[in-house]
Amino acid sequence: MSAPHETGFRFEDRSGNETRFPWRSWVDGFRRVWSAPAVLLGVFACTFLMAVPMALVVRASLRAHLGNSLEAAGAADGVNYDWWEEFTAQASGLGATFSPSILGFAPVLDNVSGVLDGQSEILPVTGLLGGYLLLWTFLSGGIVDRLARQRPTRPYGFFMASGTFFFRFLRLAVIAGLIYWLMYRYLHHWLFDEWLLRVTRPLDTERTAFVWRMGMYAIFGAALVLVNVIFDYSRIRAVVEDRRSMVGAMLASLRFIWRHPRQVVGLYFLNSIAFVTLVLVWAFAAPGAGGPGVSMWLVFLVSQIYLLARLFLKLQFIASQTALFQRSLAHARYTALPAAAVPVSPAAEALSTSLA
Amino acid sequence: MLAAPDAQDLAVQAPPMAIASGQIAARVQSFDQPAEGGLSPRNANYQMDVRLDHATHTLKGRQTLRWRNISAHETSELQFHLYWNAWRDRDSTWMRERWLGGNRTPPRDDAWGSIDIESLEVRQANSQLVVLKPGWNPAPDAARGPARFIAPDDDNSADRTVLAVTLPQPAAPNETVTVDIEWTSKVPRTFSRTGYIDDYYFIAHWFPKIGVLEDNGWNTHQFHSPTEFYADFGVYDVGMTVPRSWLLGASGREVSRADNADGTTTHRYRGEDIHDFAWTTSPDFVEATQTFTHPTLPPVEMKLLLQTEHAGQEQRHFAATAAALKYYGEWFGPYPYGYITVIDPAYQSGSAGMEYPTLFTAGTRWIAPDRVSSPESVTIHEAGHQFFYGIVATNEFESAWMDEGLNQFADARALEAGGFPDYLSRRYFGGFVPWVFDDIRLSRATEGNGLAGYRLSPEGDVPATHTFRYWPGTATRITYFKTALWLHTLERHLGWPVLQRIMATYFDRWKFRHPRPDDFFQIANEISGQDLSWFFNEVFRSSNTFDYAVQELASLAAGKNQRTSVVVQRLGEAVFPVDVLTTFADGSTTTERWDGRARRQIYVYDRPTAAVSAQVDPKHVLLLDVNRTNNSRATRPRADEASLKWALTWMVWLQDLMLTYGFFV
Repeated sequence: MSAPHETGFRFEDRSGNETRFPWRSWVDGFRRVWSAPAVLLGVFACTFLMAVPMALVVRASLRAHLGNSLEAAGAADGVNYDWWEEFTAQASGLGATFSPSILGFAPVLDNVSGVLDGQSEILPVTGLLGGYLLLWTFLSGGIVDRLARQRPTRPYGFFMASGTFFFRFLRLAVIAGLIYWLMYRYLHHWLFDEWLLRVTRPLDTERTAFVWRMGMYAIFGAALVLVNVIFDYSRIRAVVEDRRSMVGAMLASLRFIWRHPRQVVGLYFLNSIAFVTLVLVWAFAAPGAGGPGVSMWLVFLVSQIYLLARLFLKLQFIASQTALFQRSLAHARYTALPAAAVPVSPAAEALSTSLA
Repeated sequence: MLAAPDAQDLAVQAPPMAIASGQIAARVQSFDQPAEGGLSPRNANYQMDVRLDHATHTLKGRQTLRWRNISAHETSELQFHLYWNAWRDRDSTWMRERWLGGNRTPPRDDAWGSIDIESLEVRQANSQLVVLKPGWNPAPDAARGPARFIAPDDDNSADRTVLAVTLPQPAAPNETVTVDIEWTSKVPRTFSRTGYIDDYYFIAHWFPKIGVLEDNGWNTHQFHSPTEFYADFGVYDVGMTVPRSWLLGASGREVSRADNADGTTTHRYRGEDIHDFAWTTSPDFVEATQTFTHPTLPPVEMKLLLQTEHAGQEQRHFAATAAALKYYGEWFGPYPYGYITVIDPAYQSGSAGMEYPTLFTAGTRWIAPDRVSSPESVTIHEAGHQFFYGIVATNEFESAWMDEGLNQFADARALEAGGFPDYLSRRYFGGFVPWVFDDIRLSRATEGNGLAGYRLSPEGDVPATHTFRYWPGTATRITYFKTALWLHTLERHLGWPVLQRIMATYFDRWKFRHPRPDDFFQIANEISGQDLSWFFNEVFRSSNTFDYAVQELASLAAGKNQRTSVVVQRLGEAVFPVDVLTTFADGSTTTERWDGRARRQIYVYDRPTAAVSAQVDPKHVLLLDVNRTNNSRATRPRADEASLKWALTWMVWLQDLMLTYGFFV
């Protein structure tokens, strides 16, 4: 097994003051993400690069529609909504997603609302989302490993951990996917299509109906979060404890959550606060359509900074949960997978021996 | 099953236009002069008493109708609309059309509504006949008798929305017949904007209502899902008994109110020179009033019954109503009644956005951003219907465009003239949470007139087709949007002063009467001093689309000059004269007038500099052009720049979507 210095633990809290764990874990998680910029930039690059091909397709579609028209000037200088409507009326495929909801802060509302309402995306976008989740499934092993070790693992170590856990996490993803599907198929349907309809059908005040709907979102959202947390800690335990059985990891995750409910919930709450804060800031800061040239790139740059912050928070979720787990578990003095021990070549060994 | 007639057949069958100035169009009714002391003929007068039973959601009513034959011919029968029987079962024509229109959700058991005649007695000058005794309830396919259901539109024997009653003796022109009717109704859980939810009731087209006897016979259509109503003017004297402490609003003006021993209150309203009567009641209304004043228009007392949860939106409703009264009054003619009631309908009542004489329902939301023209837009639209529907009483079964289309055009104009902010918004989270797009201010010409909706099926139906024969799914696009677009096109073609005079003349000549399409076209020709038949043939008697394009723009060196060729093209079947503007590198321009008939037209110019752009219809006169983007061509287009910018914007949306789904891993 690895040597003690490889555990990477820098905090050993044995004070018994568990109520401060969530905050300390959150701060610890923040530090871990902050000290792993390569991971952040890596996942950002992946997100960016995966979106580029489809954006190029959309661009080609827009360019073809605008052709040599003078309407392009209005679209370049600001928003040419008349042209926009004409385009969407004639568009198909990816072009059909070119709605006003792509502007400014609206994507956040559109996408979160879409996920909570169980809206489906068109096939190409669904395919991309599937690929993106698969990519995260692959990267998760390396990310958790890196954040658990709290020291650079270098690309080799990162991808070795990713590769090692990919098929384990794939099995986990199948289980998670099945559970999420069941949740949308039955729980969501029951909550929104049956219960909500039943209780709101006789209502003659929108305010009350709104409260009911928010309540349904809260129930369904809480269920999603619960499942999400279980799988988060499953991945963490799988990596940190080098578990091979994903069912075992899930059970271990459940045990951990069961034994540390306040810490787990408290930490999730802190992370959620951070997310909501970021979203609120974005609601006010999100730029509009912008103009041509520098303005266009500035809008894009600001948007990418927001997306980078979103990714930071996603890693923050993982890192702080990892920190909480490592801080909380009594037998925590262990490590993730040992660092890669690269065999030294016979020639180098001979040279080393002769020099000695 | 309803099917739209073939467009070409209709175009061929359409009667020739009356062109000459002053030519008299065919009359609907020969004796439609205003009654003495009234504004209208007042030939369908109702005295009614109705009681609402909230526990059973039923109405029990009795009415005395005094009806005068103002047609040129005698009639041997009366015809009544029993609209609520459209929701009696699934076999009515209304329900069948609802299904065809795409609404396949069967109504719940408690949703159905109906109206049953308990007794009907006819009195004429020399005779009295009890046509129907209490308890009468004939089978829908009953053979001819003194009273029977008829289905003049589709022979649907299961439809019970039109009742024909044989008179003891034919009623001669100008003869008055009195009819006493007792009836009971089951209030539906809202169809076609009438019904109840919880303790909110909106009661419309609710009583046995006589059809319109025209010079060529009865015009009493069955109730159809895409259409509305048609009725003669009269005086309505209506007593409505509802639970005490419930607020009530109705057509007309309240003349008395009396509390009853059984815990109810009877409100009596009287409306003169109106052709329908609707009312609403609920304990949850908040009442507010304001008076509309104007230097040259008569004052109007505006009464608003607002939902409690919309407190704070009073001024928005009043401002919009006042805007309609002001602009429609200035443009077309004054609102003559002196009072108007605005109803803010309950959530999920299904009664929003509907017009009735001197009363209309608006519609707003609990969260209603003030940069979005809701409730202003719908309020102006429905208030505007007081002019085109309420006063100029067109046949909505046959020519709904004459009120809906004209009003769509006019309300968009009033919204713009009133300076109401009109930004795009979208609603998320089940439609509850709005987001306003400050970058997108909606344009009257396109958004206000509904170009996006029209573009979805510009060839859906020929507007000259009777509205009740439209395919249910296309009715709105043709009735509202195409009409508004061609009217706005006409405004840009003739100029607003001319169109304004056309519409004002039309309003003045046909107020408190029943005009037909040709009456409007005739006035347009007369006032404009032009034969606009070609235009009405395109926009009204055909379903052809307009689509002009610049096909080619090229400049080549020709000696010292540049020889520029511009090829413009007509891609659609419809024809409209358009300008062709060519702009050259030295800033000079040249404009050609193209009659728009040929498939292509070529213009060649020898100029010192090359052309930089060419545009067909550069002033965007032809708002019906379904593809505006191909109307221009530039030698240095900015499509690369624009497409890059918007692709980057779209990409951010996609990345955000990816991150949102990233939650699951």
